[in-house]
Amino acid sequence: MNAVGNTNAPVYGVAAEFQCARDLYHAAEKIRDAGFEKWDVFSPFPIHGMDEAMGLKRSILGKLVFLGGLTGFLTAVTMEFGTSSFLYPLIVAGKPTNLFTVPAFFPVMFELTILLSAFTAVFGMLILNGLPRLNHQLFNWDRFKKVTEDKFFVAIEARDQKFSTRSVSDFLESLGATNITTIHGD
Amino acid sequence: MSGHEPSQPGSHTFDYKHVGGRFLGLVALAIVAYALVAFGAISNKEQFAFSYLFAFFFFFTICMGGLFWQLVHHAVDAEWSVVVRRQMENLASLLIVMGVLFIPLIFVAPTLWTWMTVDPAHDIILGEKSAYLNKEFFWIRAGFYFFFFTLASLWLRGNSIKQDAEGAAKFTLRNRKITFASLPLFAVCLTFAAIDWLMGLDYHWFSTMWGVYIFAGTALSSLCVIVLIITALRNVGYFQNVISLEHYHIMGKLMLAFTIFWAYIGFSQYMLIWYANIPEETIYFLRRNTETWQLMSTAMVVGHFFVPFLLLLSNFGKKRPGFLCGMALWILTMHMLDMYVIVLPALHKAGVHLHWLDVACVVAIGCTLAAVFLKRLGSAPLWPLRDPRLAKSIALKN
Repeated sequence: MNAVGNTNAPVYGVAAEFQCARDLYHAAEKIRDAGFEKWDVFSPFPIHGMDEAMGLKRSILGKLVFLGGLTGFLTAVTMEFGTSSFLYPLIVAGKPTNLFTVPAFFPVMFELTILLSAFTAVFGMLILNGLPRLNHQLFNWDRFKKVTEDKFFVAIEARDQKFSTRSVSDFLESLGATNITTIHGD
Repeated sequence: MSGHEPSQPGSHTFDYKHVGGRFLGLVALAIVAYALVAFGAISNKEQFAFSYLFAFFFFFTICMGGLFWQLVHHAVDAEWSVVVRRQMENLASLLIVMGVLFIPLIFVAPTLWTWMTVDPAHDIILGEKSAYLNKEFFWIRAGFYFFFFTLASLWLRGNSIKQDAEGAAKFTLRNRKITFASLPLFAVCLTFAAIDWLMGLDYHWFSTMWGVYIFAGTALSSLCVIVLIITALRNVGYFQNVISLEHYHIMGKLMLAFTIFWAYIGFSQYMLIWYANIPEETIYFLRRNTETWQLMSTAMVVGHFFVPFLLLLSNFGKKRPGFLCGMALWILTMHMLDMYVIVLPALHKAGVHLHWLDVACVVAIGCTLAAVFLKRLGSAPLWPLRDPRLAKSIALKN
């Protein structure tokens, strides 16, 4: 079996290559059923249904975005009512502070809700994906460059509890993978 | 309907056994309602005019929405909506009936649109607007709207049905061309129909967002009706293995989107007028935010936006047809309230004054449309059988 990277460095995991999306899809189902948790698939394009084939759970991002939006909304409410209704009440254009003047505050509430929701969505997505990062152990493997072209890859990480280099590479071979390679860090 | 045996899976022709004697009941109810409306029209012409316009426009928006969703479907070459498209076509094909139902309004036009009785020379605001607000142009416009709506909806539906028989892709392409010509006209016609018939109730008043506000309610309410129609048909055994919960999920998402869109437009319109504080513009909201009308306006803010927004926000109900139907009924009720608050304050300036004619007009027009819709339902397959994208639409995954 090949090994790439600095062979003295800790093992990142075992990666292997598939020739088409369908093979990758079915391999993913079997890896899922075998009970692995720390692993991922890589393809040149999104594959429909891969989420289920991998057994991915629903992302928590939606809940984070809701909390982000709520924070934005409450910030606007506090800043607007706190300042112009309590600390320094203003009568603007003959409209004193009461329930019927709330519309003037809505645009800010709306914008801050949207702003913080969008920020949470974008940055939350990056953080959950472990991005940004400068390099990745998989880039030590030359064949992996084909992932942006016409090859499909799967990588099972060493931090998975069921991981051992030997058994994982045998398992991947039984799934019909080629070029099974141990990936080391730098 | 549960007493009947479900149709065979894959059956794509509507069987009238599911309706049975109820069709005649519908027609009878319509006739009774029309008799009542006719009596009301003689005894209280003013009330009739406004009640009828309210009911007319409520159903008009729903039919227009059928046309809108269909145009969107063709314009963006949508895949998911292929299986529900025939119901949009059926809904839009009722626009010709709306054209007939418009006729009573011709006789009460001066009662509704009082500018017709005012001499432009004596009213400087009307004088400025008289290039647009004059009787000749008004009736030409109304005629053109219905000519266009009928032509577009029947032509699109006709091509779609022809495709069921011949299966040629050229009908899809032809409908796309019709759509590109129709989309701008649809926007213009709906906008100016709303301006002519609703904004024209007070010819001094104007709002630059009126057309898009009416459009938001149009798209939302007709989507709700489509959800109800699809579910009713599914419950008696149609659309098995054709329309799945994935389709419901998409319709649920669109319901949420248009709930937000309606609120966004409605609030923007309110806020711009309220903040600018120009008497000519504020009169509209002043009347609707005072006296008992205020209760209805407030109910709409809560019921038309906050309730559906919060309930549709999570993923919970979007794949539950029962839940979505509940939401659809709720939103339709709110849409009706919306139309009521637009039309009736022009007559009852002192406050809410419910009248039996409001109900009679809704029942009369509603039963007529329901009866014609049932006729349309059986006249063509329930979904486009040989659309090139049918298989992909059935296999939809969100």
